[in-house]
Amino acid sequence: MNAISILTCENLTIGYRNQKTVIKEVSKDLNLNLIRGELVCLIGPNGSGKSTLIRTLAGIQPPLHGDVWLRDKKIDDLSSEERAKSFSVVLTTPVQVGYLTAFDIVALGRFPYTNWAGRLTEPDKNIVISALASVGAHDLAQRFIHELSDGERQKVMIARALAQEPELMVLDEPTAYLDLPHKIETMRILKRVAQKNKKSILLSTHDLNLAIRCADQLWIMDRNGTMISGTPEDLVLSGIFGSAFEIDGVSFDAVRGEFTIPVEKRGTFSLIAPESVERIWTSYALERIGYVPADGTVSDIIVTIHKDGQKPVWNLSHPGGEQTCESIRSLVESISVTCFLGDDSH
Amino acid sequence: MNLEGSETGNSIRRFAIAIPLIIGILGILFLIDLMLGSVNIPPDALLTILTGGAAKETWTTIFWDWRLPKAITAVFVGGALALSGLLMQTFFRNPLADPFILGISSGASLGVALVMMSAGFCGVGIIFASIGLIGDISISVASILGAFAVLLLILLISSKIQSNITILILGIMVSYISGAIVTILLQFSDEASMHSFTFWTMGSFSGVTWSQLPILVTLLLAGFIMSFFLVKSLNALLLGEQYAESMGMNYNRTRIVIITTTALMAGVVTAFCGPIGFLGIAVPHLCRALFVTADHRILVPGCIIIGGILALCTDIISHVPGTGIVLPLNAITALFGAPVVIWVIVRGTRFGRGITT
Repeated sequence: MNAISILTCENLTIGYRNQKTVIKEVSKDLNLNLIRGELVCLIGPNGSGKSTLIRTLAGIQPPLHGDVWLRDKKIDDLSSEERAKSFSVVLTTPVQVGYLTAFDIVALGRFPYTNWAGRLTEPDKNIVISALASVGAHDLAQRFIHELSDGERQKVMIARALAQEPELMVLDEPTAYLDLPHKIETMRILKRVAQKNKKSILLSTHDLNLAIRCADQLWIMDRNGTMISGTPEDLVLSGIFGSAFEIDGVSFDAVRGEFTIPVEKRGTFSLIAPESVERIWTSYALERIGYVPADGTVSDIIVTIHKDGQKPVWNLSHPGGEQTCESIRSLVESISVTCFLGDDSH
Repeated sequence: MNLEGSETGNSIRRFAIAIPLIIGILGILFLIDLMLGSVNIPPDALLTILTGGAAKETWTTIFWDWRLPKAITAVFVGGALALSGLLMQTFFRNPLADPFILGISSGASLGVALVMMSAGFCGVGIIFASIGLIGDISISVASILGAFAVLLLILLISSKIQSNITILILGIMVSYISGAIVTILLQFSDEASMHSFTFWTMGSFSGVTWSQLPILVTLLLAGFIMSFFLVKSLNALLLGEQYAESMGMNYNRTRIVIITTTALMAGVVTAFCGPIGFLGIAVPHLCRALFVTADHRILVPGCIIIGGILALCTDIISHVPGTGIVLPLNAITALFGAPVVIWVIVRGTRFGRGITT
């Protein structure tokens, strides 16, 4: 597969120019490259300049220095119509409009192609319909946009951006407002659009776990506006990913690929059980109440999981004795009663 | 894909079916407006007059000198007001915007007052204001300029302030200020111009003479045509300025055209018929509800026709048929328009959000 660069920028400096004299540099010396069919997630803490970069790449805001190239043309040299045919956007602000069906909204994506009255030709209609189908929203076509849920509306907005037939789609936090299953669905749709429709997709997001799993490339902006890009796995392995986001007490677990919630440490545990779902979730539960896996052979508590037919049974042994529990809830309660109280009495 | 029968053509097809119907209603109301008034002209006499036959002389005079120009004015002015309301609502993305509320009519009033009052101050003004065509044109120009000035002011403010509610309040304040200036001007003017101005502020379709009518119709038709060329951009603007620009719309150019068109229509209407409220705000909402769409390809022609229909209705009502009483037009438009505004506000969070803030 030959990689075609859709968007490149060299030594780009982004920021604001409030008056003619006041210049606030957000980030400088950015060298970025977006390849056709790739999904790129732009991540970074709040206030790192993600939106500024998105706006600059989309041509909404001029760069302070350097140029953005779309294939072999400077973005400034493109007419607004050429630009609209090259890339489309999905913005964070929800669209609030009544009496327009999802079809009408998606059809607006044909704006750069239609005549002065915005009349849709047959090919235009087919493009709109297939855009709706690509995001799995064909059944929403005749629904009014103000009657849709946030997740459905996001699908329609993605379909609109797709109907604009761009080479590059830029999405500003498309997964904000959505619950986890809808976040995942949105990412799945975008990934499919990137692969099947051969579009480059750049999106900013705060959902780091999703970004690691979905992105072909991660662009990480840290608090100082420094940009690091790379394959998610490489960034995790090199520790760059973790260090960009870690704040006091919150650390990145490179094995699980997620950030751990800090808890006060109570003691150590040993878990004796075969590899199973029960084992994983039992260890999660123990970690949640402050126990960490024991390094050596000595541990404060030992939990053994037995399979009694279909149902698992937890056997807890601690210095004070042994107990059998039928659920994780009762296991956690037993540990709290016996071990925590014991701690307090010291 | 079994979507073949259910694409966007739906609302347009529905509108195509509705068009003959609403034009028919417009025609019938036009005839009723010609017949009813302080003196009612019976249908057969109307037919005789129209075919050039001999009817009662007073009827013929009333018909040609009063009823016909008045009815034509009503149709065009109603359409223009509705259209400028629609443009403002979409442009400011605010369901409560219209030329009257945003102070554009007040700006036009100020322009007119300045011309009318200057007639009281100096001789040149008298010549301007009183001599037929030149007077009409100078009043129109002053009115359009006044409307344009207020719109530019609001635009300037709206580029700094995002909140639409703030812009509305500022518009209301601007209309208070121009109202205040007009009141002060009135204090210094002679009784005749004061009276004619006060009468003018009540709004009326009857003041337009045959010599003025071509000016009115030409300018408003120009506004209608410009609006038709705006439909695509207006539709894009429904998604907001940033989306519209991302789709290749030239925002600055569109903005200038929208403002010019609105100032032209609102200014001309105000110059000839006085500041008429409520039609501008109410008709676009009625059209959205009636045609169940926010598509401007339907709303622009829809607003022209429905605006004409409502203007004819208010004119018929204000001339309390069979009596010599003439109620101020603004009282009638408010009586019917205010409930629509209330409806918009009350239903604002659910279905009425044609365009929300």
